[in-house]
Amino acid sequence: MEGVGDGPAIVVDSGADDGTIQEEDAENEIPADALEAVNELKDELDQIVLQPPKIDMTPADLPMQSYPLTYKENDNKEKLVLAYAENFRRQYVHLYRDRKPLLLCPLNECGVEKFVCTTIRPTTLPFQELYDYDGCAEFVSDYVTFDPLDPPVDLPKSLLSSTTVLRRQRGNCFEMSTLLCSLLLGAGYDAYVVCGYATREMTLCDETREICPLMKKKNEVKKEEKKKEMRKYTVKPPKDLRSKFILEMEARKEAEQAKEEQQRKKEMEEKQEELEKPPSDELYGLRIHCWVLVLSGKREVPENFFIEPLTGNSYSTQHDGYLGIESLWNNHNYWVNMQDCSNGCKDLLFDLGDCVRWEFMFPSNEKPTLDIPDMDEDALDFEDDEDEEKEEEKHLDMPPSWVSPLELTLKEFQSRCPQGKKTLTYKRAKLEKFAHYLMKDGLIIRLSIYHDKEMKDLVRVEETYSFRSDKLHLRVHNHRTGLITEYYHQGRPLHLKEQTYGQWPDSERTMIFYNHARVDGLTRREENALEMTEHFDNRDDFLLYCHVVFGKRPKKLEPAGSLPSSNPRPILKIVEKFRRNKAKPANEDIAECIYLISEDRIQLTFHHQDDKITASTRDFIKPPNANDKGAVLTFSQDMTSTFRVDPLAEPPKNLFIYNLLRELVDKEDKTVHSVRDSEEEVKEILTERQEEEARSDLDISVYDTERNEKAKQHRIERERLQMEEKKRREEMELDYLAPFLAQIGDPEKLNRQQALKLKEDCLADLKMRLIDKANLIQSRFEKETVELHKKQTWYQNNQMNMQKEDEEEYLEYCSEAMFRIHILELRLNRHKEMAPHKYMALDQKLKTDQRLSEFFGATLGDKR
Amino acid sequence: MSRLYDTVEPSVVDEIMLQKAVEEQGPKEEAGRIAKAEGIDFTDVTQLRLDFKNILKVDNLWQFNNLVKLQLDNNIIEKIEGLDTLAHLVWLDLSFNNIEVVEGLEKLEKLEDLTLYNNRIATLENMDSLTQLHVFSVGNNNLSSLENLIYLRRFKGLRTLNLAGNPFCDDANYKQFVVAHIPTLAYLDFRLIDGNTKTAAMEQYKYAIEELMADETAAENKRLEIELKESKFEKQKLAYVENLDGPHLFDNMFAEDPEASKLGALPGVDELLAVYKEKMVAICQQVFAFGLQEHEKRCKEVDEFYSCVQEAKDENKEMAVVIINEFNKYKKKIVAELTVMSDPNGIESQITEYKEEVDKLWDRLMGFELQLVDQLEDTIKDFERNLADMVSSFVEFVQGLISQVRDLENIHHERLLEIAHITLEKYVKNELDDELPEDLRMLLVDKDTITNAVSASHDVHLLKIDNREDDIIQRANGWLGALMERIHNEEEVARNRDRVKEINNFIDHLKDDIENMELPNAM
Repeated sequence: MEGVGDGPAIVVDSGADDGTIQEEDAENEIPADALEAVNELKDELDQIVLQPPKIDMTPADLPMQSYPLTYKENDNKEKLVLAYAENFRRQYVHLYRDRKPLLLCPLNECGVEKFVCTTIRPTTLPFQELYDYDGCAEFVSDYVTFDPLDPPVDLPKSLLSSTTVLRRQRGNCFEMSTLLCSLLLGAGYDAYVVCGYATREMTLCDETREICPLMKKKNEVKKEEKKKEMRKYTVKPPKDLRSKFILEMEARKEAEQAKEEQQRKKEMEEKQEELEKPPSDELYGLRIHCWVLVLSGKREVPENFFIEPLTGNSYSTQHDGYLGIESLWNNHNYWVNMQDCSNGCKDLLFDLGDCVRWEFMFPSNEKPTLDIPDMDEDALDFEDDEDEEKEEEKHLDMPPSWVSPLELTLKEFQSRCPQGKKTLTYKRAKLEKFAHYLMKDGLIIRLSIYHDKEMKDLVRVEETYSFRSDKLHLRVHNHRTGLITEYYHQGRPLHLKEQTYGQWPDSERTMIFYNHARVDGLTRREENALEMTEHFDNRDDFLLYCHVVFGKRPKKLEPAGSLPSSNPRPILKIVEKFRRNKAKPANEDIAECIYLISEDRIQLTFHHQDDKITASTRDFIKPPNANDKGAVLTFSQDMTSTFRVDPLAEPPKNLFIYNLLRELVDKEDKTVHSVRDSEEEVKEILTERQEEEARSDLDISVYDTERNEKAKQHRIERERLQMEEKKRREEMELDYLAPFLAQIGDPEKLNRQQALKLKEDCLADLKMRLIDKANLIQSRFEKETVELHKKQTWYQNNQMNMQKEDEEEYLEYCSEAMFRIHILELRLNRHKEMAPHKYMALDQKLKTDQRLSEFFGATLGDKR
Repeated sequence: MSRLYDTVEPSVVDEIMLQKAVEEQGPKEEAGRIAKAEGIDFTDVTQLRLDFKNILKVDNLWQFNNLVKLQLDNNIIEKIEGLDTLAHLVWLDLSFNNIEVVEGLEKLEKLEDLTLYNNRIATLENMDSLTQLHVFSVGNNNLSSLENLIYLRRFKGLRTLNLAGNPFCDDANYKQFVVAHIPTLAYLDFRLIDGNTKTAAMEQYKYAIEELMADETAAENKRLEIELKESKFEKQKLAYVENLDGPHLFDNMFAEDPEASKLGALPGVDELLAVYKEKMVAICQQVFAFGLQEHEKRCKEVDEFYSCVQEAKDENKEMAVVIINEFNKYKKKIVAELTVMSDPNGIESQITEYKEEVDKLWDRLMGFELQLVDQLEDTIKDFERNLADMVSSFVEFVQGLISQVRDLENIHHERLLEIAHITLEKYVKNELDDELPEDLRMLLVDKDTITNAVSASHDVHLLKIDNREDDIIQRANGWLGALMERIHNEEEVARNRDRVKEINNFIDHLKDDIENMELPNAM
């Protein structure tokens, strides 16, 4: 019992195999009645059929032999560690009888016991998204489908390796935590797998009482209120002359009402909460769970926190869902919690170097020990210290992980979820996730928000898209108002940013544009059946706002299918508002211009002068012929009326007014045109949108080699060409010496005699062939000539009694034959020309041939 | 001398000629008819063409003070004159005249395009104020010195230049010289200057230009320095402490004192003066620093006040504008109703209702105005009090420091007197070792003379100090008074009157409107 004494530390010694389990030696005399009772008991006990505990081996989807050796066996060091762990377990059980067993050495997929720490394999996968903890957590929760523990209060018997988990895309919380921890350690975090207890909701990944994280973010946007600052000379507000008493009474009344309202609201909320509370859980506090702890320090993590592998969310260590910690481990060590968990994890301190709070298994505790004053430590156990010191020199370290390297292809990574789809249920919301390019229309996230918790009353559906060629990235369908809002990225032809519309055509429609990209600076256009409003920004003509009122479409007897543009809505009124143009005096700078087209009038309002509260106005009645092209505008004083802010200022000249009128008449015409253009543009956008919606093309990045068909084809083509080229080259490089070498029986080494002979043979052969070829061409040439001669003589003989067709046939034959002869002649000539060259080339080649060169060089030397 | 002198009598720029030109060049058609009916003011004319008029003397153009473009080409003008009032002129054409000297263009600061083509100009000069010059044409003149063209370097915006037909154009280096010396130029003699020409020319005249540039930068730096100094001095002047950051006051005191130089020769006075000067400069510098600091504070206070007043005015204006807009809407509605109504009683009641609304509007607008007047009055009072406190504390502090200066002067005076007396005694007893200058010896006649001399010097000093003190105090108080008067006048009286007038005008207009409105309806 060395080392296991009054101190809190369990000192593990691999050699310490002392029997700590006390055996009962109760062999005494047995009374008869007792014997009977024993028999009875025996009968009773016999009725209980004990089944051997089934080891829940996961269905082996891979044959045993396909696993690497490390999976099927333990090497010596691992065996040593297992023995060490077993010793630790026994001492632990002995010391803390009332504590639950620890998960130390579960079986792996091959049925071999493996120590949990060696199951963690720190890995960095080559994906940018997996560089941060939230990316890793999201990946694990999405990629792996969660299997609940069965029974929920027992530790699992087996713990599969992360490679198997990734392959099967299934796993329990322990396996998922191990995988996540491997990734986090690979990314440089100080991460640990935690084994402990959690609520039912946590262990079953039941998020129906949680608010969807996508919805949370929106609420976080806070409005910053600007307080009006009181300055030294800020004027005092006007005196309040109302009765103080009455005000007070009113305020009191209001306060009461507000209070009541609040009370009612609170009650409602409480009721609602009561309704939504989960049913009580008889296994509360017993459900085993496994999750990941990230300690502060590395990777600039400011605070310790938990990551839930099932959902991918991170929680503070104070979270209510976690009820206690039994132990935690990483790839270096194993720590057992010695702190009281009656208050959940709230009071736990994660100072792993503190051996009072955390019992560690391997003495190589890399964590800095807590700074306890030396006196204390000495007081604890002096002997212990000595032992530890001795052991530290020869302590056992953790063997490398037995798990094969984790691998994941890009395609697998991009599929995110099993089969690329995943549906999550939150409080009054349903979230569906899809892998990129899985859905034809580019849908990646669909969030449905409901009003009630039974999820029947649909409020809103938000669909997020990616890679759409029409740049749509978000569509929100509000089922309450029936409005659909679509959001687009930059880069559409008409720079549409946002569009809100109802489900039926002539209803209200709002479009928001990327105004900085548009030439006309349009930011927003609202339209319904009778009105259209446009807002502008940053225009050179200072236009800010344009509001058009339409009349009803005149009813004409037209075929139903005619285009609406052939029957435009009549314009009744156009209101334009302008920004202040500092270059003009305020009372000549138009602020608002109203074209009452149906009444043939124009009303102007000018800008306010600096301190003035009234603005000048001017009304025009358009002369009757104003809209005729080329007509001269006549002008008379009574066509205009005005209100001038400053009656003493000199009135403007008639000429000025006349020019203004002419300008306005022109402008009205232009404005009407621009309104028509706007209408056309709306139509254009709508038809374009319809077409795009029907096509729903997806953009594929040029770097995406998997999906980019064009690039793929190009690549395949190139590969094919390369192959061909290679083949051709191989053919080219046929060994010209091979047949001759074969003749002399492929000797390993050539002697000089042989080499010379080889060369002679080779050259002779070539000569032979060249001559043969020349002869062949010659013979063909002769044959053709002879034949032609024959034909010619035949023709000359029969020329008289020949029909026209035969003659033509003959002529044709002649020309063909002549052609052939000509070609043959050419070939022959060329062959004659080329043959010496070929001969020389081969000679040269043979001279430089590796196998012959030495002899040849020698001959050359000899000759010299 | 001129081609036309002998044949045709020169014409005079008179009312008839101008009127005719304006009418000919004015608006056409219907606009012309209207313009003719009411007459065209010369001040409204922006473009005027007086070419081929055989004008000898430019005159009577003073009415056209908004003129932007003036063409006086193809006349027989010999002297540029009478253009001083045309300050908005951008475009001036004086080509084909008999001008010999460039002059009379000093006031045309906005001029961008100047044509002096085909004249008899021999030198380019007197154009310093034409900083905006963009296009300049002096072809066919008598320019013979290429060096004279360096004058054009000062026009930083000059892009187009025409010099063709001048004597120096025959010079082989003419083009290179111009291109190298006027780097802003893009077009010369109607041709684009390409990059190669430019680099070649630059290379050719590299050293000359470098020298020029060095001179110019030096001049520029000097100018900037002076400007900086001046602006600093201006600021100090505004703080009433100019020239107090050095021995200026001290030197001034002694400069205007005829006796000082004589008395300075007394033995031991040198050291006395040195100590005195040091102490006084220290005090002056204190005044200076304090003055600047106080000035800053005052400026901040004034800015704060104005911004607050502006805020209050804007707020008030906003309220008024809102209710006026509301009323305008109401009025539109009423007018629309009235036009369709036929029942005379109904119309009557509507009109009375409208008039009541107008009265209500008046009440509210005037209410706002009164509120603003009250608010501003309070604020102005506060401001005046604070500012007066500031100024008086400043003045007190300065007075305190200046009295220290005065004390110094008194001490200095006593010491000086003492030295003078001792010296006199010694002089009388012939115990003096050093030889004294002649004019000092003149003073060392008897005790009275020397005492008088010292006292006179002292009086002059005291006077100087007093003057400086008075100056500071007077100016500070003057500034305060002027500022407060302006605020009272502008912010209170004038503003109030304007607003009341405006409201009444508006209300009258509203009332008139409805009365004019009903006429066609009643019939």
